[in-house]
Amino acid sequence: MHDIIRQLEVKRAAACLGGGQKRIDSQHAKGKLTARERIDLLLDADSFEEWDMFKEHRCTDFGMAEQSVPGDGVVTGYGTINGRLIFVFSQDFTVFGGSLSEAHAEKICKVMDHAIKVGAPVIGLNDSGGARIQEGVASLGGYADVFQRNVMASGVIPQISLIMGPCAGGAVYSPSMTDFIFMVKDSSYMFVTGPEVVRTVTHEDVTAEELGGAVTHTGKSGVADLAFENDVEALMMVRRFVGFLPASNRHKPPVVPSQDPAERLDFSLDTLVPDNPNKPYDIKELIVKTVDDGDFFELQPDYAKNIVIGFGRMDGSPVGIVANQPLVLAGCLDIKSAIKAARFVRYCDAFNIPVITFVDVPGFMPGTAQEYGGIIKHGAKLLYAYAECTVPKITVITRKAYGGAYDVMSSKHLRGDVNFAWPSAEIAVMGPKGAVEIIFREEKGNPEKLAAREAEYKAKFANPFVAGARGYIDDVIMPNETRKRICRSLAMLRDKKQENPWRKHGNIPL
Amino acid sequence: MFKKILIANRGEIACRVMKTARRMGIATVAVYSEADRDAMHVDIADEAVCIGPAPSRDSYLAIDKIIAACKQTGAEAVHPGYGFLSENQEFSRRLEESGVVFIGPKHHSVAAMGDKIASKKLAIEAGVSTIPGYNDAIADARHAVEIAGGIGYPVMIKASAGGGGKGLRVAFDDREAFEGFESCRNEARNSFGDDRVFIEKFVEGPHHIEIQIIADAHGNTVYLLERECSIQRRHQKVIEEAPSPFIDDTIRKAMGEQAVALARAVNYQSAGTVEFVVGSDKSFYFLEMNTRLQVEHPVTEMITGVDLVELMIRVAAGEKLPFAQADIKPNGWAVECRINAEDPFRSFLPSIGRLVKYRPPEAIEGQVRVDTGVYEGCEISMYYDSMIAKLICHGATRDQAILRMRDALNAFVIRGVGSNIPFQAALMQHPRFMSGIFTTAFIAEEYPNGFVAADVPHDDPGLLAAVAAFARRRYIDWAVKIGDQMPGHERKVGNRWVVVAGETQYPVAEMAIPGGYSVTHGADRYDLVSDWKFAEPVFRGACNGVPICMQLERIGLKYRVGHFGKQIEAMVMTEAAALLLARMPVKAPPDLSKYLLSPMPGLLREVSVHPGQQVSAGEKLAVIEAMKMENILKAERDCKVKKVVAVAGESLSVDQVIVEFE
Repeated sequence: MHDIIRQLEVKRAAACLGGGQKRIDSQHAKGKLTARERIDLLLDADSFEEWDMFKEHRCTDFGMAEQSVPGDGVVTGYGTINGRLIFVFSQDFTVFGGSLSEAHAEKICKVMDHAIKVGAPVIGLNDSGGARIQEGVASLGGYADVFQRNVMASGVIPQISLIMGPCAGGAVYSPSMTDFIFMVKDSSYMFVTGPEVVRTVTHEDVTAEELGGAVTHTGKSGVADLAFENDVEALMMVRRFVGFLPASNRHKPPVVPSQDPAERLDFSLDTLVPDNPNKPYDIKELIVKTVDDGDFFELQPDYAKNIVIGFGRMDGSPVGIVANQPLVLAGCLDIKSAIKAARFVRYCDAFNIPVITFVDVPGFMPGTAQEYGGIIKHGAKLLYAYAECTVPKITVITRKAYGGAYDVMSSKHLRGDVNFAWPSAEIAVMGPKGAVEIIFREEKGNPEKLAAREAEYKAKFANPFVAGARGYIDDVIMPNETRKRICRSLAMLRDKKQENPWRKHGNIPL
Repeated sequence: MFKKILIANRGEIACRVMKTARRMGIATVAVYSEADRDAMHVDIADEAVCIGPAPSRDSYLAIDKIIAACKQTGAEAVHPGYGFLSENQEFSRRLEESGVVFIGPKHHSVAAMGDKIASKKLAIEAGVSTIPGYNDAIADARHAVEIAGGIGYPVMIKASAGGGGKGLRVAFDDREAFEGFESCRNEARNSFGDDRVFIEKFVEGPHHIEIQIIADAHGNTVYLLERECSIQRRHQKVIEEAPSPFIDDTIRKAMGEQAVALARAVNYQSAGTVEFVVGSDKSFYFLEMNTRLQVEHPVTEMITGVDLVELMIRVAAGEKLPFAQADIKPNGWAVECRINAEDPFRSFLPSIGRLVKYRPPEAIEGQVRVDTGVYEGCEISMYYDSMIAKLICHGATRDQAILRMRDALNAFVIRGVGSNIPFQAALMQHPRFMSGIFTTAFIAEEYPNGFVAADVPHDDPGLLAAVAAFARRRYIDWAVKIGDQMPGHERKVGNRWVVVAGETQYPVAEMAIPGGYSVTHGADRYDLVSDWKFAEPVFRGACNGVPICMQLERIGLKYRVGHFGKQIEAMVMTEAAALLLARMPVKAPPDLSKYLLSPMPGLLREVSVHPGQQVSAGEKLAVIEAMKMENILKAERDCKVKKVVAVAGESLSVDQVIVEFE
């Protein structure tokens, strides 16, 4: 018995040392923390319960039988963040470069299975060189086992991936199926094929950072949601982030008693929308002044900036926010922004998070680039997402709501629960200028007459009353009372129950 | 007395004039440009008339429109404020012709003082001490060198029509005099349409001290003591105070009497200011007379108890001054900080845009006065002056006035546009300013490389760290109230934390006390009590029982704490996290000199260069359209274009990369 305990101590010590002090030093030299250090920062102090510390690989080929490290390159288990249950796996780059073996995959699968069973988020800290090549197909099988679980967990429990080192080849497909991907600047990268293969195949000369670094994926590809300066900041931000997410789709999002009065007015919003309809303004000011304590957790801030998405709280309860951004491309919907917002709306819908939509949209972006790129199909994603969504939906039209984009942006017709308009709202098929040029085409040669027609059209449609008269708008509200009215509407909708007809699944235009 | 007056101005001064008029029971009429539709002065006036498009020449300088507005509203008199038409003789003459009273001096006085050379001659005749110099227009550069030699170097070369530092050169030798004359004359011609230039002795160790006078139509002229305006940045006043810490009663009296003599010489009526330059040897010389209300008039009001605007109105209505010279006694000390929409961290570039947050400090009768013309949510436009408010503090002594100013600046919140508040706060903390011994060169000498908030010394930097720790702890204590926790396994919040501010780490221990936390850092203990909430930009409370007020803002994981001009950005984390953070690589900030960054948000109209192109300094690189204005970005030095990053038609944010150089 005594001997066993001694052996246990030895094994624990070995497991905790991972690939050994030398490799730990090398990890640190790269500006990266070790798998265990990361877990310590992610979870509440002393809350981590580790599983499978003694699990080892079973490979005997290529001399692997002699090399075995307890834990096999991934630290798994559960713990808490602010007292809430979180499952976690953290790949250990110091052990076989964090490569994924069959055993390694089994450990990940075990925490995922538990997380689905009990209903709690999984956070993956990825730092892996890829498949354990020595194991061959067993390693590939391991990946697929993880992929399958990612899909089974999708929409059931929140899945967050934090890429903190390499993540290449098939490995990228596990994070890509999780709900959110965060990256660390300069030390993480993701790509399907690395720079060397790219060079051989397409003759493009590109660095790993350019090909798949944090800046690339948060700005160009939209694969990642956020990039952080270093491991410590990344882990601290993830702690903050999970506070917006429910434990699972069976739970309501977590409430924190608010200290920001639900009835708070903000008169500065009355001057937010400029008199000139072509002058932009920053929609984020409205968001920040509306949510509790000005605390808005924006996602994908550097990608498709013409739409803003992120989480905040209203009177203590999490909400998802989608807003057109007039500062960028006049807030037009295009392929990227539609996809960005659609996925976010579906996330909120899956996890019982109400969606608040701020609308100032002049329409869909015109042009061959958009049409050839399939704006029809991609724009439809956002339409589909809003139409399918059954969580409380509150819409505030601040200025333009033109054309098909009006329909898309959580309109009354797509089962918007409460649709407000500011006095500056203009709900119409298109802007007055474009409209009269079509309706009064024959008067094209007469600019004076056309101007009069434009004024007439403006007087008729450049206001919220036409839509109000039809009940498409529930009320016209003053900008200063936006928070108060949304908070009340959310309270009214607290027990909203709405179901879509049974089906295996819908067929969203992918 | 008038029943209704029109205020031909905007911003804080229009609001300030209206306040007095309202107190006197006089109805007010505002005029406004299209850009000022939602401006504060329009809102507080009894009536308002739109007088044209945003550019001043089409609105606030459009005499016809303002006179028409008087007719339309039945205003009997016009107060011009400062700037705009306040010293325009044609305006006062035209008003007179239209039967509207100009609340200001008669146009002949304005005319006499409007020209620097003519006014100097007048001053000499009135027995006012003037700077040795050549008072006639100078023919050419050679002549200028001759004259300069005669006066003795250093000399100052000035445009006759200049002001506010424009068209001004200092020369220390013949060559500089020659070149200075040429460039000064060019600038004068281009800026003022008047190329007359004169030369005078350059006074060393100069102080800018001015005498406020007020005169009625009955021959009474009184000087309301002096104002010290030596704290200037590029000849623009930054801080003004009254009285001056530099001069004594004898000089004060001599200056005051000369100012009165000069006013009498031009038969002056209304409020006016006689500016003097005072050398380090306390010799003083007349500079010019400003025939209007000055920006910095409130410091005079605070120490003399008079309302200059009221006096101007009464005098204009023909009333007698209600006091004599003997009645004027200074009471305490007053200091004014000009609050400008500019970015002190970017060489004081004007900052325009929306005032996302604007919370001036609370006014306290007799102690803190805020003259403001803006409100939260209004637009700071590029068409007008960048000064948006004035903060004036009074105290029994200079030190007390400065202390009050520090507190008031700590509480002053401006977001959305940059403001010079951190700079003002740093000045209020500067030992040389506090000593009262400084000249007009003060800012240039003390901040030769611009202003960096992190460099501002603070007596107790631990206090800033403690406030960051407080803020973070309050956040954590809130965050752990989150629902859905594992019963029996709630988070236990530790008491040992580390505040990380750049490279400095402050390990602290925290303990809850009623209404706050006690934060201990080494031997220093800060018992902080406050009802601060996360979104509040100001932390108000007490530290060890003493009231404190700080700027506090949460930016992601960081807390920005500002106090007395010092600013830190701090993260607060556990000891374990701080230890690991120390392992994280310090990333060198990117070398921005290799990039052309967008200085403002706007639309990229064009990129005028292509990759591989060699450009020389001053060459056009790109054009940004912002606020309907085209801004041409030029190369700062010779360089080669490596990459064009942004494309024409793109909306740019501040600091977005447009072009990369090799």
